[in-house]
Amino acid sequence: MVTPSPRRLMAPAADALRRRNTRLTTRRAVQQAIVSVASLVGAPVFNQRGQRVGKLADLVARMHGQDRYPPLTGLLLRVGSRTSFLPIEAVESIAHQSVSLRTARLDLREFSRRPGEVLLAKDMLDHQVVDLDGRQVIRAADLYLAPVAGQFLLVGLDVSLNTLLRRLGPKRLRGRPTPERVIDWDAVAPFSDELTSSPPAVQLRSSDEQLRRLAPAELADLLEDLGRPARQDLLSRLAADTAADALEEMDPDELEALLREVQPAQAAALIAAMEPDEAVDALRDLADGERAAILAEMPADKAGELSALLTYPEREAGGFMTTTLVQAEPDSTIGEVKRAVADLSQHREEIDAVVICGPGGELLADLPLFDLVTHADDVTVGDVLAADETPEPLTVPPDASVAEVADQLVRTRHSSLLVVDEHGQPLGRILADDVLDALLPERGRLHFPRLLR
Amino acid sequence: MTRPDETTARPDEAAVTAQHEVVEDTASPPASGEHSVTGLALRRRTAAVIRRIPGGRRTLAYIAVAGPGLVAANAGNDAAGIATYSSAGSQYIYRTLFFMLLITIALVVVQEMAIRLGIFTGKGIAALIREQFSLRLTGLALFCVLLANTGLVVSEFAGIGAAFELLGVSRYWVIPPAAVLIWGLVLFGSYRYAERIFLILSLAFFAYPIAAILGHPDWTAVGSNLVIPHFLLTKGYLLLGVALIGTTVSPYMQFYAAAGVVDRGAGPANYRNARLDAVSGAVFACVISIMIIIATGATIGGRGPLSSAKEAAEALRPVAGSGAELLFAFGLLGASALAGAVVPLSSSYAISEAVGVERSVSRRFAEAPLFLGLFTLQTALGAAVALTPVNLISLLIGTQVLQGLVTPIVLIYILILTNRREVLGRHVNGPILRVVATVVVAAISVMSLLLLGQTVLGWFGLG
Repeated sequence: MVTPSPRRLMAPAADALRRRNTRLTTRRAVQQAIVSVASLVGAPVFNQRGQRVGKLADLVARMHGQDRYPPLTGLLLRVGSRTSFLPIEAVESIAHQSVSLRTARLDLREFSRRPGEVLLAKDMLDHQVVDLDGRQVIRAADLYLAPVAGQFLLVGLDVSLNTLLRRLGPKRLRGRPTPERVIDWDAVAPFSDELTSSPPAVQLRSSDEQLRRLAPAELADLLEDLGRPARQDLLSRLAADTAADALEEMDPDELEALLREVQPAQAAALIAAMEPDEAVDALRDLADGERAAILAEMPADKAGELSALLTYPEREAGGFMTTTLVQAEPDSTIGEVKRAVADLSQHREEIDAVVICGPGGELLADLPLFDLVTHADDVTVGDVLAADETPEPLTVPPDASVAEVADQLVRTRHSSLLVVDEHGQPLGRILADDVLDALLPERGRLHFPRLLR
Repeated sequence: MTRPDETTARPDEAAVTAQHEVVEDTASPPASGEHSVTGLALRRRTAAVIRRIPGGRRTLAYIAVAGPGLVAANAGNDAAGIATYSSAGSQYIYRTLFFMLLITIALVVVQEMAIRLGIFTGKGIAALIREQFSLRLTGLALFCVLLANTGLVVSEFAGIGAAFELLGVSRYWVIPPAAVLIWGLVLFGSYRYAERIFLILSLAFFAYPIAAILGHPDWTAVGSNLVIPHFLLTKGYLLLGVALIGTTVSPYMQFYAAAGVVDRGAGPANYRNARLDAVSGAVFACVISIMIIIATGATIGGRGPLSSAKEAAEALRPVAGSGAELLFAFGLLGASALAGAVVPLSSSYAISEAVGVERSVSRRFAEAPLFLGLFTLQTALGAAVALTPVNLISLLIGTQVLQGLVTPIVLIYILILTNRREVLGRHVNGPILRVVATVVVAAISVMSLLLLGQTVLGWFGLG
């Protein structure tokens, strides 16, 4: 089913912008002292006596660790045609377009990357990062350093177009920071290729915490915008159910591409964590071989459930129902039913009523959650059914069309109905929003390469 | 321009059998319902048809990732392409055929490099350029793409103008509304439907291979010109040669091909299929181009430079008789309108990708100001230049010369990227490919420089 999610219509979160502005003002003091990384690259490096010893080739920062802001751990210095590493202890000051060293004697070493270390100019500048406040994927136009308590910290990131123009302009202007759109480093999730390949033992950053707090729709947008390595990194940083929620919000074409990219085992884990109806939609879009490979990686019962759903045509009731049902018998108490519902809290969007079946599995009633709330815990379901005049359960056969399902829902003003087989056994449930998805035209973002498919 | 998946599905009986097939094979549901003819449904329907063909499953897997290469390469056969190939045929008869053979090799090499970058990095070419080169070099590359593509947009609107002039409508009445229409269709999201109409119109150019046979060309002359070089050392030949390169190896095709494979999630496992697609697409495009040259050479060869679209249309006379002009006009209109949207989008996409901002079509203007702004700018500029009172055919070929001059610069970037181990790991150009690719890029550069040199000398009266 196509999911033209409402997020496309949302205005950019205004509070996020406001938060960013406050961050900006509180950091004004820091801004006086910040140094632009873009202007430092290629800047002259002087020794203690003020003699020029070489050119700055790059800056090394430790990205993973306890620090809120990554500290510099050294420089790459180019002397003649040779590039070597200089630990940060040897650096006296870093100013606009010049670096001064503490010593006259240079202890030049070959640079070898330690885990979590990143070259700021080569790996971060001009690469994609996630701006957690603006909830978007951007490219770093400039990075800003600030001296804080004897350390040099990476404090912010600039994404403005003006900064790009400044960097294109004459050298004289290049060193001047233009911090109109500086993002605090604390609100940035970096996705450098080097970070992706660094060992998994590295510490979790606070940004991961913030990533997890984003809404599924926002994560879906980020996944769509990142390049492949970064996308895989982001996926691996999310828990399977968070990731699955985000995948449900993705554009179907983007999701198809993503599932093709990841290993079948990972794809299987992600799909298994999705709601069954969304999972089936995702599987339907893949080629036979790809689908079989993914199903083979799933636990047998999950694979069986999804394969069974796949046999229903996409645009018939069986093809877009969810199989997540809460079932109870007439002699269960309301309290027991409530606990059964609570156990399925991860499917909260898929449950709006409880299926009541007789001992033979035949459908008796479809008890709305409302009735669970309004009755005492010790009353049995049978009593509730006898007291209220609960209407006949609303049902359709698995081959009902979208239009028939919509008609039923509109006529009765129910928020969901049940799909039953020819023996009256419940198979699944269709909620009003599933019908909405089916009726609305595709409205996903249209990336240009897809225009000609 | 062709799409294998759709052409297979187009006949009505194919669709019907597919519907029928669903009874046993429910994994490919029928496309009934409110909006049946979505691309997805069409693809599924095709899938059901293909399953009936022996060995069809493999074909399906191929089609699942194939396409971008084929589409990208065939997009070269647009208005400006037709004008340039027709001009080659009318001016030099078959003398450019061997040259076209060399261009085919160049296109195959270049398209393969482009999709390899897309497949093994998962990023578009513009993103790779930004990450791998300095910002200034990135700026240069993107400026070149923008320049070449704006030239192409001019030619697409000129093509629309020429098509309507064949039908007796002045271009001054047609180009402004056409520009507004294409702009609106893309911005308001209904382009995908219009695109199908344009595609069908552009199929008219498939009459060329038939015209080439029915036109009774001197096949021995064609053969000898194909295998033995018949270069001329004149300025006109050089100019046309650069235009042929420009129109066949347009920079936007490489960007499009890479973006296409990335967008489909094609990874290293799909490399063989995607390469097959890119190579066959490039060869197919060049075969069509060669057929256009043969058809034109056989009918109006030797008349000298083309002066109007009417003359070019004569090449289709063996197929369509007196309807040749109409057929040509339809084809020209379809191809121009199709490329008129794709080309400016391609450069907007590349630039937005490099800057790192929103680059999807159906967002509101305020959400993707750079992407939609650049698209608007190129469309407006293209239409404005196409309205200047110059000969449309000269304008068409002129834009292709501009393309030819810019192409080598973009190719150098692609060559450097595919030679870099840190970008492609063990999939960098092998030693043989490295030599071939370097020779290709060097040869194209030398031709462009020669033309540039001659033109500059000409300004001082020395040429």
